[in-house]
Order: sequence, then structure tokens, then C-alpha cells
Amino acid sequence: MSHDHGHSVVVPAPGPGFLPHTVAHHFDTPKQEFQAAKLGFWLFLATEILLFGGLFAAYFYFHQVYPETFKVGGAQLNWRLGAVNTIVLLLSSWTMAMGVRSAQVSQKGKLLMYCALTVLGAVIFMCIKFVEYQAKFDHGLLPVFGGMHDALGQQLQWYTDHDGVMAGVPHGNLFFSIYFTMTAIHGLHVIIGAGLIVWIMFGAAKGRFHANYFLPVDLVGLYWHLVDLIWIFLFPLLYLVP
Amino acid sequence: MTTNVPAYEVHAGEHGGAKPNFLNVTKGFMSWAATLDHKRIGIMYLIGVTAAFLAGGLFALLVRLHLWEPTGLLFDNATYNQIFTLHGAFMVFIFVIPAIPGSLGNIVLPIMLGAKDVALPRLNLLSFYLWVTGTCFALYAILAGGFDTGWTFYAPYSLYSTQAVISIGLGIFILGFSSIFTGLNFIVTTHKLRAPGMTWFRMPLFVWAIYATSILQVLATPVLGITILLVAFERLYGVGIFDPRLGGDPVLFEHFFWFYSHPAVYIMVLPAFGIISELVTVHSRKPLFGYKLIAFSSIAIAVISFLVWGHHMFTSGQSTYAMFAFSFLTFFVAIPTAIKEFSWVATIWKGSIAMNSPMLYTLAFLIIFAIGGLTGVILGALNVDIHLHDTYFVVAHFHYVMMGSIALAFFAGLHHWWPKIFGVIYNEGLAKLACGIIFVGFNATFIPQFVMGSRGMPRRYATYIEDYQPFHQASTIGAMVLGAGVALMVGYLVHSLLAGKKAMQNHWGGVTLDWLSPTPPPLENFDEAPVVTTEVYDYSTLDLKTTQTPVR
Amino acid sequence: MSAHDHAHGHDAHGYGPHHVTSTKTFVSVLLVLLFLTIITVAASRVDFGAANLLIAMLIASVKASLVIAIFMHVKWDTAINKLVFLSSFLFLSLLLIFTLSDQATRGDDDPLRTVKLPVDNGFVQPKPHAENH
Repeated sequence: MSHDHGHSVVVPAPGPGFLPHTVAHHFDTPKQEFQAAKLGFWLFLATEILLFGGLFAAYFYFHQVYPETFKVGGAQLNWRLGAVNTIVLLLSSWTMAMGVRSAQVSQKGKLLMYCALTVLGAVIFMCIKFVEYQAKFDHGLLPVFGGMHDALGQQLQWYTDHDGVMAGVPHGNLFFSIYFTMTAIHGLHVIIGAGLIVWIMFGAAKGRFHANYFLPVDLVGLYWHLVDLIWIFLFPLLYLVP
Repeated sequence: MTTNVPAYEVHAGEHGGAKPNFLNVTKGFMSWAATLDHKRIGIMYLIGVTAAFLAGGLFALLVRLHLWEPTGLLFDNATYNQIFTLHGAFMVFIFVIPAIPGSLGNIVLPIMLGAKDVALPRLNLLSFYLWVTGTCFALYAILAGGFDTGWTFYAPYSLYSTQAVISIGLGIFILGFSSIFTGLNFIVTTHKLRAPGMTWFRMPLFVWAIYATSILQVLATPVLGITILLVAFERLYGVGIFDPRLGGDPVLFEHFFWFYSHPAVYIMVLPAFGIISELVTVHSRKPLFGYKLIAFSSIAIAVISFLVWGHHMFTSGQSTYAMFAFSFLTFFVAIPTAIKEFSWVATIWKGSIAMNSPMLYTLAFLIIFAIGGLTGVILGALNVDIHLHDTYFVVAHFHYVMMGSIALAFFAGLHHWWPKIFGVIYNEGLAKLACGIIFVGFNATFIPQFVMGSRGMPRRYATYIEDYQPFHQASTIGAMVLGAGVALMVGYLVHSLLAGKKAMQNHWGGVTLDWLSPTPPPLENFDEAPVVTTEVYDYSTLDLKTTQTPVR
Repeated sequence: MSAHDHAHGHDAHGYGPHHVTSTKTFVSVLLVLLFLTIITVAASRVDFGAANLLIAMLIASVKASLVIAIFMHVKWDTAINKLVFLSSFLFLSLLLIFTLSDQATRGDDDPLRTVKLPVDNGFVQPKPHAENH
């Protein structure tokens, strides 16, 4: 279909309290915009899966080389806290899905409520994480930046393990390095996801999202579900396999 | 063609004036720096990657000069290590990987599809600025003391080296995201923004090539990202994953690194294949032989490239069974590649061949790439590679594909699309001369390297035994000639921008949408959105009045 | 909804028809996910030896599939989106399979190796200033 310069397509608001949406002008229809953005976002999620996948590869690799270390190391983690975190994230995934649904049926109030609950879940998750990290720091099992090798490069200065819980298994530092790296990068994504959801809440309050235009809510929802997905695998691998 | 009346409002906007093109439609620094126009972004990339190429080339000339003497002419060993690392890092990450997709891909691909822009223009601009940022980190790393790990920054040395490894690592990480977002954008554009009537099998092969490249960019680059992060964490707080003193495994580093870096070489070469596919058909004015074969072979190469990375690690201490598997799988990637090479030659065969500068670059490519590809198969043989690994034979092989093939294809594409993008044509005589000088200089540089590599000269050595000196000196002279050819090329291209003759609308006589758009294209690429009704390389539709090249 | 009614489009004229998942479906999936979490924890308390890892991964995969298919809407999504996410897992599995099998078979006695090192075959390291080749 021929398209004049300077004409832009506008999706109307479904009712009072909502705002119309102007389609980006290089797209011909709102559907094209929606499908293009969604495909692009799935491609981005694919990159996240491969990014974390590398970490999972490192985990499985060293689990294969040092099974005892992973067994003893995993036993040091608090599986109850981990389970609570898993439940918190699953619930927050549900609230996020309900939030997207609320946008799809133009229920502004519910969208805001579900987003707020999801952010609450994120906050609880990070608090529990903080508690866990604190405990590990106290035992000399978690890295601090700058705490590197001694003169011979054989002993890490941060890995003091002063309760000796990892004595008897080789290279206990490997388990905790992997644990920390994986959960820290995951935690970073939780924080980013929470930030994105707060941004959605601002837009939702203004009435930007409704049945005719819910794309950003959908995409942020996908991001949040990915965060949950990663944890679904992290939890058993780190906390439960021993 | 019907137009469905959409049940939403359509606002009228302002109309432009009389026919400006994308170069002059708006003026001023910010109109370029904040542009969302894929063509302007492509030109900014072009300037950037050309600068990177010249910088990387400068490092190469320094390397070659240093190796004039067996004891090393210019630097101490430690500095030499930095120079060749800079050459590799600049060329691989800052030039070759972004160059063709970022410049020619950005400018040409949307026009070829009949679209107004890429699917995600703001992401496109972000990709460019990520490229700039990554490059700045690399420059900073040089100022902060440099880095001497080789562009492959293998563990364990990259973990212990006292130099600016984290800075350059961060730079490459950011460059990686530039690459990912570019690929993401092209995939979405190809799926969603094709003009009406353009089915998948009516797309030009350049689009297929970029599409396959984009798959690799999206799927492989994140693994490099996590590798860099892990090295950075290792240096900052000693993760121990790659450090054998802490229980880690340096071979795992190599697995992670090459899982990206082998597909990366296909990220580099597939766009070049795409350019050659376009050029052989236009300059022989004959439809591509084996269109579907070439299209599918691009996808096949992309998939197979994920299965062979271990062939870079034959002497690293992998298990023998893994090495057998990788060597066996490596031979398969030669099959789709050979299909392309034969199809291109078959396209030219009995075509109406125009021996102009883009065609000369293309012919040079076909010869050089045959050598580069075949020597790759030689190296894929496990037993032979045990001896040739880390020698100049490998160096010559990858320069044949990277410089002789990819860079040459890049030059070819520049010459081919130059009149379309800028509306001017360069001096054809000088272009032919430069092509000849580059071809001679290139072969003179790297044939001696094949020979001395097979006779045992190791790579990355700052000094060597006297027996190899004749080869090194021949190679250095060749490099100087090559450099002169490149300088000449840059010279007449720049001159054409300042004082070149005006080009015709369809200078070479192509029939894909990029040649049917105005020259240079207007902001939204077409005066009226095109509708495709013919097959893709149907030269019976060519309007000879619009083309400069003589009736043949 | 007549085709000529431009100004008052309903939701079907924004993105075209789209699927809105019911609350009931979401709640059911949530309950299944919570239940599977309990199973995962319970199974980990029993020592199945090497199978522990496999069982944990299987259950996690089921949970992941539910999140992906229902919460992330992939079940009702376009084919290309499905392909994109599937291929990311596929290529990740390539990385895992090759690196893990390399590690697992490393150092295995290679029955095809016929040369036992060290070998004295008369090779002499050339001196740097040797005159002839």
C-alpha cells in the first residue's frame, strides 16, 4: 500500500482515562509494529539465554570435574531460603502475567496493583539474597573485590573458609565463585527487571497501556519471566543437587 | 494491489519540498549525530570502520617492518607483543566484524527489501554509539598501558598479565552488544518489513547473507560476552574457573572463546559472500546460478559453524575423541562454501561480463578466496594441524580469508554501491590500478608466509632464526605495496566525494530494488513504496536508459 | 465493527486479534509450578546418586516449559518467535555437549595411539646459525 510521507498511524484509546498511541512512522500498521517489536525482544531474550548458558556450562563442567566439592559446597547453602526465593519469584511471575493480562483488557487499576506486587516480590528476593550473602561473607566464603592471590598465586585472600567447612574437598573456592557469579548476575537482572516494571507503572498511571496498546507491558513481562526462568534452574543446581 | 482501509486514524503530516535526497534533506551536526535514518547511520559506520581499518593496517605495517630483521628491527619483544595484539584486536573486533553489516548492510539492506528503514531505527543508532563507545574503551586501553595477550586473550596469561586487559575486555564486550543489536535489527527487518510481493525467494542474496550473519551475531556473541566477564571477574577477585592454580581449566576458556570466535569468522565472511553474490550477477548481467543453493548454503554455513570450534584447539589438550569429532565436522563446512564458489563462477560463465573495477575486485576475490578456503580445509585435518598450528601457515590462511577475501569484498561492495549512495562515480582508471596493486601486494605479502609457515616459522614471534629472513623480507615488501594500493584507493574515493562526476540512476544496470530507487535515495528510500511483481534477478526488466554501462 | 468506522476502533483493530489468557489458566499454572517446587525439594532429600541431577533438571525443565508456554505466551505465539527461543536452547546445548564430553573423555587411554613417547628418531634441534637446509 502506498504511504505518503508524514502520515502517521494512531491507535485510539479504548475509553476515557487512556491515551492513544502513535505508531512509529516507518511501520505501516500497528500489528506490524507489535510483531516486529516482539520478535526483536525474543531475539534479545535468546542472547540472555546464551549469556547465562555460558555460566551454566561452567557449572556443569566443574560439577563433572569436582563432584565432591559441589556436594559439600551446596550443603553450605540455605536451601530453605532458596526455596522461599523460588516461591517468591514464581508468585511474582504470576503477578506479572496477570498484570499483562490486565493491560490487555484495559484494567488500569489492576495493572498497577499487579506491577506493584511484582516489584514487591523482587524486593523480597533481593533482601533474602542479601541475607544469604551476608552469611557467606561472614564465613569467608564469598569474594570481595581486590581480594586476590597471595604471592604465589595459589591461595585466594578472600577465600578464608575460617570455619573449615570446605576442608577435605579440593578447590572449594570454585563452587563459591560459580555460586556468587551466577547469583550476582541473576540478581542484577532482578534489579533491572524491577526498574523496568516501575517504569511501566509510571506509564500505566498515565493510561498509556490498554487493549489497543500493551506492547511495553508485554515485553517487560517477558523479561521478568526470563529472570524467573533462570532461577528455576539455578535453585536446584546450586542448592539442591547435593 | 489492494489497500485495506485500517480502522484507525491517519494524521496528515508536513510534506517535504522538491525531491531532496537523504544526504541533503537536513543539515547540521545533530541531524547526523541524532539521525534515525539507516543510510546516515551506515555512512557514520563507514567512516568509523575505515578509520579502524587504517589504524589496524598501520599496526600491521609496524609488525611487518619490525620483522625485517631476525632480531627485530623496531621494538623490544614486549612491545612487539602489544603491536600484534593491537593489530588483531582492532582488525577483528573494531573493523571486520562490524564493517559490512554496519556500513553496507545498513545502507543497502532496507532499500533492497523495499522498506523505509530498518525495523528498529533507534536501536540501530544505539548500535552505532555502542561501537563508538567500545572503540573508545579500546583506545583508552592503549593509553592505559596496552595489552599484549594476543587478540585471543587466552587464559592463563590474560589472567595474570599486568596490562589493561579489563579495559579492552570491556571495550570488546560493548562492541559485542553493538554486533548483537545490529543482527537483531536485520532479522526483524527481514521478517517484517519486506515490500508487498517480496517473498523470501525474491530477496536479493545479499539479504540472505546478512540474515544468516545476523543469526550468528545473536546466538554466538553472548558467549563471548560471558567469557570476557569471567576473565574480568577472574582478574578482579579470582573466580578460578580458568586458572589452573585455583583448580580451573584454561581449556574451558578456549572452549568458551572459540564457541563464539569460530562463528565470528563466519559473521565476518558471510556478508562478504553476499556482496560477491550481488556483484557477479550485476556485472555479468545474468541471473545468479543456483539462487536457492546459495541462499540455503548461507544458512547451512551458519548452522555448521557452531559445530566446529574445537579445530582451533587441536594442540591445547582436548580429549582425542573431541578432536576427531571437530576435525570431521570441519570438513562439512567446506561443502556449502564450495557450492557458493562454484555458483558464482557459473554465474559469470557466458555472462555479459563488464570488466569494471567492482568486477575486478570480485574476480580477485574468487581467486584469493579459493586459496583461503582450501587452506582452511588443510588446517582442518587433525594430523596436519598438529604441525601447522601456531605457524605462519595459519596466519597466511586467515589473512587470505580475512584480508584477501573479506576486505576485498568490502572494497568491491564499496565500489559497486558508491554511485548509488553518493550519486558520484570515482575515477575508473585509478580504481583498476589500485585493484591490481592490492592484488599483487596482497599475494606478495602472504604467499611467503604459507611457505615459511609450512617450514616451521611460528606465529607471534618477535624474533626468528636467519633461515626465514628472505620470506619475512618478501612479505614486508608485499605489505608495503598492499598499503600503497589501499592508500590510492582511499585517495580516489575521497576525491570522488569532493569532485566526482555525477552517476546515473542505475549506474551498473542492476535490477534489484536498491538500483530502482533514486540516486542518491531520498529519506524514505523510494518516492512511492514499491510492490514486487518480478523474480529477483530478471534482467529483462532492465531499463537501459537509466544505466551508464554501455549496451552489451 | 464496520470497516468504515475509523475513529472508534476497538481492541481488535489495534494489533489484530490476539489471545488473552484466562485468569483460571494462570492460576492453575501457578499452582502446578508451586507443587513442582515442593516435589523438587522433596526429591532432593532422597539420595538417588547420580540421578539426583537428572531428576532435578527434568523437573526444572517441566517448570520452565510451563513458564515459557503459558506465562510467556509462546503457546499462542507466532512460529518464528517459537523458533527463536528454541534455537537458543539448541545452540546452548551444543556448547554443553561438546565441552562436557571433551572433559569426560580427556586423558582416557586412546587405543589408537601407536607411538609411545619419548621417541628417539634421530631428530636434532637445528642451531640458529646453521648454514644449509
